[in-house]
Amino acid sequence: MFEVLLQQTQAAAPAIEPSAAAALALGLAAFGAGYAERGIGAAAMGAIAEDDSLFVNGLILTVLPETLVILALVGFFLI
Amino acid sequence: MSTAGGSNPEYVTARVKARKSALYGDEEYRKLIRMGPAEIARFMEESDYEDEINALGSRHSGVDLIEYALNRNLAKQFDDLLRWADGRLYDLIARYLRKFDAWNVKTVIRGLYSGADRDAVSDDLIRAGEFDDEFLDRLLDAPSIEEVVERLSGTIFGPGLDDAYADYEDTDVLVPLENAIDRTYYSHLLEGLVVDEATQQYRELLEAEIDFRNARNALRLAQTGADIDPAEYFIKGGSLFSASELATLAKNRDELVSKIRESKYGDDLSDALDELESAESLIRFERALDVALLKYTDQLGHVFPLSITPIASYILAKEREVDNIRAIARGREAGLPEEQIEQELVIL
Repeated sequence: MFEVLLQQTQAAAPAIEPSAAAALALGLAAFGAGYAERGIGAAAMGAIAEDDSLFVNGLILTVLPETLVILALVGFFLI
Repeated sequence: MSTAGGSNPEYVTARVKARKSALYGDEEYRKLIRMGPAEIARFMEESDYEDEINALGSRHSGVDLIEYALNRNLAKQFDDLLRWADGRLYDLIARYLRKFDAWNVKTVIRGLYSGADRDAVSDDLIRAGEFDDEFLDRLLDAPSIEEVVERLSGTIFGPGLDDAYADYEDTDVLVPLENAIDRTYYSHLLEGLVVDEATQQYRELLEAEIDFRNARNALRLAQTGADIDPAEYFIKGGSLFSASELATLAKNRDELVSKIRESKYGDDLSDALDELESAESLIRFERALDVALLKYTDQLGHVFPLSITPIASYILAKEREVDNIRAIARGREAGLPEEQIEQELVIL
């Protein structure tokens, strides 16, 4: 009796709720984007320090990994 | 400085690549070859060397001005590298830049040997290595070569120089001392180099540098016909020669050439080797060695962009640039024809 009850509750409640999983995915995506930007940002700063005219290019390249977060955000709204 | 204390190759290589693209190319050299010393100085003032030319312009003129400006700029560039780098990258760059410590010690010893005055020697130093200004000044103040060796006893050069000094006293030529310095430098360069794929490539580059230097030394000895045992001046760490092999090869130039031709450097050096076989000119062979090394590092820099190799490639390229400008300025001063100066240049 008790075992059956246990099995039923396990089936009914997944370990992570869909919305929680989406939040987790978003967080991980943002973490990945941050890590990617670390390297790009450092290189961009180096290039800008040598040549001011590279500011725009550096800025664009630095924020490119932000697209990762935006895609994850799409997933978040689909759930 | 990153607070994490990690290595920051992204930042350093980005800056280094920007600087590297600003180095003089074919076209600039072609212009420079046609200029006199004063014009060269003005040309340099309009490019990267502005600060140095301005700072030294009131005290020196002509070729001296160019020479000192070049040395100072070189030191500044390499100090910058050390300032930018952190962590493991700093360690690797500092190791490589000890080359200038070796150079400075050699300059001081040569200055004392030839009896040059202190200021002249001081102007020739490249203050880019690990030794700080204070220590270099102490070396400059030393009254004799023995005293220089004494003052270096606490550094990495200490033990090697102590042994070489006895040789120097017997023979009264500088070769033993200079070789002791070179050997110390190279043995420290490879010591405890941690191996991952990029560092492995870097290690190969250093080995190539050592091999080329050994080959060059052996050829020079063979050329002069001096009765010196090449094995004594052999630098350890290369992959091509062993000490005993080099000793026998140095006596026979043809065999040495064919040995290099069969090695892994054969393809890169085939033009240089043809040159060496046909002509007696050692200078052109040495230039060809420099070009081959430069090409090799350049290519490595593209294979592993986030490692020390692009930085090493920049260091070598910058050194070559300084050598080239100096050769042009000196050549023009001595009134050499343009073609001959062109032969002296190392251009990729």
